[in-house]
Amino acid sequence: MIELLEAAVAARPDDVVVTSPYGTTTYAELHRDVQAIATALVERDLRRIAILDPDPAHVLAVLAACSRVGVEGCVYPLAPTDDAIDEMVARFEHEVVVTGRGISSPVVGYAELAATTPGDLPALPESRPIMAMTTGTSGFPRGVRHEWDRLLRTTHKIKPAPEQRWLLAYGLNQFGGLQILIHVLAAQAMLVAAESFQPRDALDAMRASGVTHASGTPTFWRFLLAEIKSDGGAVPDLRQVSLGGEAVPGALLDRITERFPNANISQIYGATEFGQNVTVRDGRPGLPISMLEPGGDVEFKVQDGELWVRSKASMLGYHGEEEVPDGAWRATGDLVEVVGDRIEFRGRKTDVVNVGGVKVHPIPIEDRVSKVDGVSLVRAYGRPNPMVGHVLAVEIVLEPGYDEKAVASEVRAVCADLPPAARPRSIKFLDTMTTTGNKMLRGAGR
Amino acid sequence: MTVDRARAVIVEFLQRANKEFGELTDDLSLYGGGLELDSLEAAELSAVLEDEFGSDPFSTGDTLPETVGEVLAFYNAA
Repeated sequence: MIELLEAAVAARPDDVVVTSPYGTTTYAELHRDVQAIATALVERDLRRIAILDPDPAHVLAVLAACSRVGVEGCVYPLAPTDDAIDEMVARFEHEVVVTGRGISSPVVGYAELAATTPGDLPALPESRPIMAMTTGTSGFPRGVRHEWDRLLRTTHKIKPAPEQRWLLAYGLNQFGGLQILIHVLAAQAMLVAAESFQPRDALDAMRASGVTHASGTPTFWRFLLAEIKSDGGAVPDLRQVSLGGEAVPGALLDRITERFPNANISQIYGATEFGQNVTVRDGRPGLPISMLEPGGDVEFKVQDGELWVRSKASMLGYHGEEEVPDGAWRATGDLVEVVGDRIEFRGRKTDVVNVGGVKVHPIPIEDRVSKVDGVSLVRAYGRPNPMVGHVLAVEIVLEPGYDEKAVASEVRAVCADLPPAARPRSIKFLDTMTTTGNKMLRGAGR
Repeated sequence: MTVDRARAVIVEFLQRANKEFGELTDDLSLYGGGLELDSLEAAELSAVLEDEFGSDPFSTGDTLPETVGEVLAFYNAA
């Protein structure tokens, strides 16, 4: 990562690299902090550290400094309680947390590190590890160990594009966020961070900072479209819209195309574990079946309806567990079906709803319901039921001016040809919807 | 009265489910020989009742209701 920063600072030192509620930082300022922090890491003889800081410029500087001197950095999620952070420190065996928070584990403030007088640094070490964390939707997050060299192996394809302004719509503890950081540095562009990762704040930041490029989950984009529609304000003139982290429904692609006519639309398929993303740009849902051909940097196969992957940029392994051998296949947890020339996503394995013994995938149902006039947001999920285990239920946020009864009856009509187990048995109308990490929770229900 | 609203919810559900019924008498069976609800339809009825009233006799009681009257009695008692 340091090599990307050095190329950028040589080419355009005074360009802004990060703008956020905490201020703006130029490439030269960032580089200065990185030199100081790298020196501090060497002086303190650190090997493995965590970063917990709401300012993305600070996170970027610490990660770049780590990558300069071979220290394994790991970005912690912002939300957890102090106790949860102490547990992560213990579990991941971090020597120190760079943070301003008063937790019981050893801490050091960003300002203190950045105030170090930059000194001579050793040559670039051979191994430069970084640890990312899984979201931990099912249990405690796991530490995913990567090497910078593997993560950066395709960045030479990214041309400088200093006019690009990228929205940060993922936490930097998420792999999606790390990918944005890497891309921004490689493109020598600007990162725009909002007050929070909530679509409302993101929209404000997009308008205020003239964001041109944005990457988010389908849930994020669905909420963002709803925000734009409901406030009636200016539509950001996006040139690039990327979606990833969840299955992308076709209806959503259509709505985004309509809303952002000047944007290229990419679907990104990736996971923290496989290090490198696959991008699909043809505007159709799913992956082209050609992805199943062997030989690429990322290879796929379908086994028992689940997508398996192996990647040349794969993780080394999970923290505290055995290393994963090179070229090993791993299950993605994504259920797929090959339809014609396409690998279509049916949802997460954990999202499948068991309705009286029949497996129902919520995503295709959400896709249908989202096309009904007046539906602003929809979530389909499994709702516990004493007679059949679960029934498929939907929750809907309406666009203004629509009648609940009329929309409910239209929703039933568009689902009438589905197998009985897949028809929504409960339709509820909500004022708003909540998400976790801008992803929709489906399987477990309430 | 809650019980009247419960009756209205049941009627609306039955109409939507295209069920033939004359009068909604208390001893009318929900299942065979009566309304002929299958398990998914019964599950739906319990879900719509819960949506409307916050609880329903299918999820709460020790035994599943078998007649219209047993469903209504749950709301009468409430």
